[in-house]
Amino acid sequence: MPYSMPSGKENVQRVWKGDRKKWLEPTPQGTADIISTVEFNHSGELLATGDKGGRVVIFQQEQENKIQSHSRGEYNVYSTFQSHEPEFDYLKSLEIEEKINKIRWLPQKNAAQFLLSTNDKTIKLWKISERDKRPEGYNLKEEDGRYRDPTTVTTLRVPVFRPMDLMVEASPRRIFANAHTYHINSISINSDYETYLSADDLRINLWHLEITDRSFNIVDIKPANMEELTEVITAAEFHPNSCNTFVYSSSKGTIRLCDMRASALCDRHSKLFEEPEDPSNRSFFSEIISSISDVKFSHSGRYMMTRDYLSVKIWDLNMENRPVETYQVHEYLRSKLCSLYENDCIFDKFECCWNGSDSVVMTGSYNNFFRMFDRNTKRDITLEASRENNKPRTVLKPRKVCASGKRKKDEISVDSLDFNKKILHTAWHPKENIIAVATTNNLYIFQDKVN
Amino acid sequence: MEFKLEAHRIVSISLGKIYNSRVQRGGIKLHKNLLVSLVLRSARQVYLSDPCPGLYLAGPAGSPAMPPPPPQQQQPGEPAAGPPAGWGEPPPPPPPARAAWPEPEPQPERPAAPVTGAGDAPRGGEVEAAEAAWRRVEGAREAAEGGAAGPAGGSDGFPEGPRGTRRQCGCPPGAEDRPGAPGACPRLACCCAPRPAEDEPPAPPAVGPRKRGAAGVGGGPAGGPASGSSPLKKPRRNSEEQPGGAAAAAEEEMETGNVANLISIFGSSFSGLLRKSPGGGREEAEGEESGAEAAEPGQICCDKPVLRDMNPWSTAIVAF
Repeated sequence: MPYSMPSGKENVQRVWKGDRKKWLEPTPQGTADIISTVEFNHSGELLATGDKGGRVVIFQQEQENKIQSHSRGEYNVYSTFQSHEPEFDYLKSLEIEEKINKIRWLPQKNAAQFLLSTNDKTIKLWKISERDKRPEGYNLKEEDGRYRDPTTVTTLRVPVFRPMDLMVEASPRRIFANAHTYHINSISINSDYETYLSADDLRINLWHLEITDRSFNIVDIKPANMEELTEVITAAEFHPNSCNTFVYSSSKGTIRLCDMRASALCDRHSKLFEEPEDPSNRSFFSEIISSISDVKFSHSGRYMMTRDYLSVKIWDLNMENRPVETYQVHEYLRSKLCSLYENDCIFDKFECCWNGSDSVVMTGSYNNFFRMFDRNTKRDITLEASRENNKPRTVLKPRKVCASGKRKKDEISVDSLDFNKKILHTAWHPKENIIAVATTNNLYIFQDKVN
Repeated sequence: MEFKLEAHRIVSISLGKIYNSRVQRGGIKLHKNLLVSLVLRSARQVYLSDPCPGLYLAGPAGSPAMPPPPPQQQQPGEPAAGPPAGWGEPPPPPPPARAAWPEPEPQPERPAAPVTGAGDAPRGGEVEAAEAAWRRVEGAREAAEGGAAGPAGGSDGFPEGPRGTRRQCGCPPGAEDRPGAPGACPRLACCCAPRPAEDEPPAPPAVGPRKRGAAGVGGGPAGGPASGSSPLKKPRRNSEEQPGGAAAAAEEEMETGNVANLISIFGSSFSGLLRKSPGGGREEAEGEESGAEAAEPGQICCDKPVLRDMNPWSTAIVAF
């Protein structure tokens, strides 16, 4: 159902409520359960998260309670499985991290669900299926599997299915390996639902979901002389409707749109989206903060959104020379870039997402803040995902960061922001106002409060 | 002045990041290291483009050569790390020639790095080179400064203060004659057994075809970088400069010592870096082909020839 933030009166902002789902206790190492990706499936019923330890946890939305129709179902753990394990490349003496970089769902075609998950080097297609019945009454086997003594078999019976407790199984159906020299940063499923692309720092490959032993290279920006390397690919995505079109973003802040019909190797872009740099903002770190960390098409396919370190930009695919909208996420950090460079925060890769109707965009920030921007009303809101809001149905209070000057009550000064608490991954339900926000170890799911 | 210190700080931080990336799990992250190298280049531009004379990075009067990097950081098969040149070498005892140089101010400063303009590459003996450099610096200093305590003139407006010590690099003449020759300057000799190694020789702002956005980066940083550095840092720096040369020298010593270690690891294992690149053998071949341009660490401390070679060296950091 389409949703838009109400405009006009200042107290009519939607309120968000929700609760925290701590789905795994921290491992002894303490870092393996850092969430690294969050993704709703096409219906929104399932929510997948990947973590640094290579695990995938899938949440499922409860069926709506008919009595309490104003409240949508909660999300509970549906399946957990180990998707990737750490590997070692003996040839190059490199360890390959098991961290899940991206998860993408396939549209559902039958009873089972399919998703692609990838680490730095290998993409896997997983089938998640339910089993709620099992056959019983074998002639030659006992119920526990032991074989019966054939001499004791005096009658024949037909085994029947009997209900059992629901069991969700995940099995790897395809493994797409050995196609990437550099670290995979993106996967994107084509609208033909048969092919998908995977992108690393310098190359983009096109795969068929059924074929694992080869892929086509469609973009290669590796220079002949690596000393001349000036930019890398940071994200790539297929257009939601045109199966021949995809975009990829670069560390230089440019986005290239490519048409696979033009040539087999899409090194020459069809469109180049780039905004001229503001010379007054030039600094040592201009290049870093202009690097695009995420690119997402709108559901309509007319727009795309890019996230760089300080801002979110909306581009109209028909206009290449500048974005149509720019939203500052945390401009107060511009004067802190040197410190952020020192503590590596400047390299954080924030993601962004659209709501179902493309009217609101969301992205994360520090101090467990996340931001929403309403494109129609031009209003924005800052919310916090924290333990204080742990109680279910707690309404989130808008936050404000005081950039300079006198700090008002309830405002937070820039210097007291916790840069270890960052929200890099957020996802918005494709149809409803339900959002998933990942802090370092925790997943928060918020719904808007329908009055 | 603060910009220069800030730039130097950023340089050492960047080198630390690049170094740490080699031991990080999951292999070298190309994207992050590319960004770090861009920052490194920008900072280096600022650092070198400043005509502010008399900038020193003090270090202890220590051994002339850098200690070799810790063995565990060397990968098997890499060339043994020779004493590096380049940034932040601890200065050896002042050579006798220096005593002959006039010192205009009663400051514990040593001759600054040569300000290379359009650059006559000093050829011939080290002493001539140093003297010519010193004269240039002198001239600049006299033009720029109004006094010992006055701020340095020029477009940067860097305030004076106790500075680190810059050392002259002593490359044997042979290296200077053939600037492009790899290995013409043996690392050991170049790295300043007889003479202190020079800290980054100033380079013209736009260096090399690989400069990206030269107008922006090269021209900008002289005035620009302050916007990038945290304003909180400045007061801290200033207060550290006050106590005098010794304290600043001590601080700089630690920094430069650290930087020097990193340089040695980078310089010596440059081809090792390339070998480690995920691209494998191809990059290594390319690295060696361009070895004529790829600076041996020793060549960095030369004047003009090194300036040309420094650029590929820094771009080589890019090319993991």
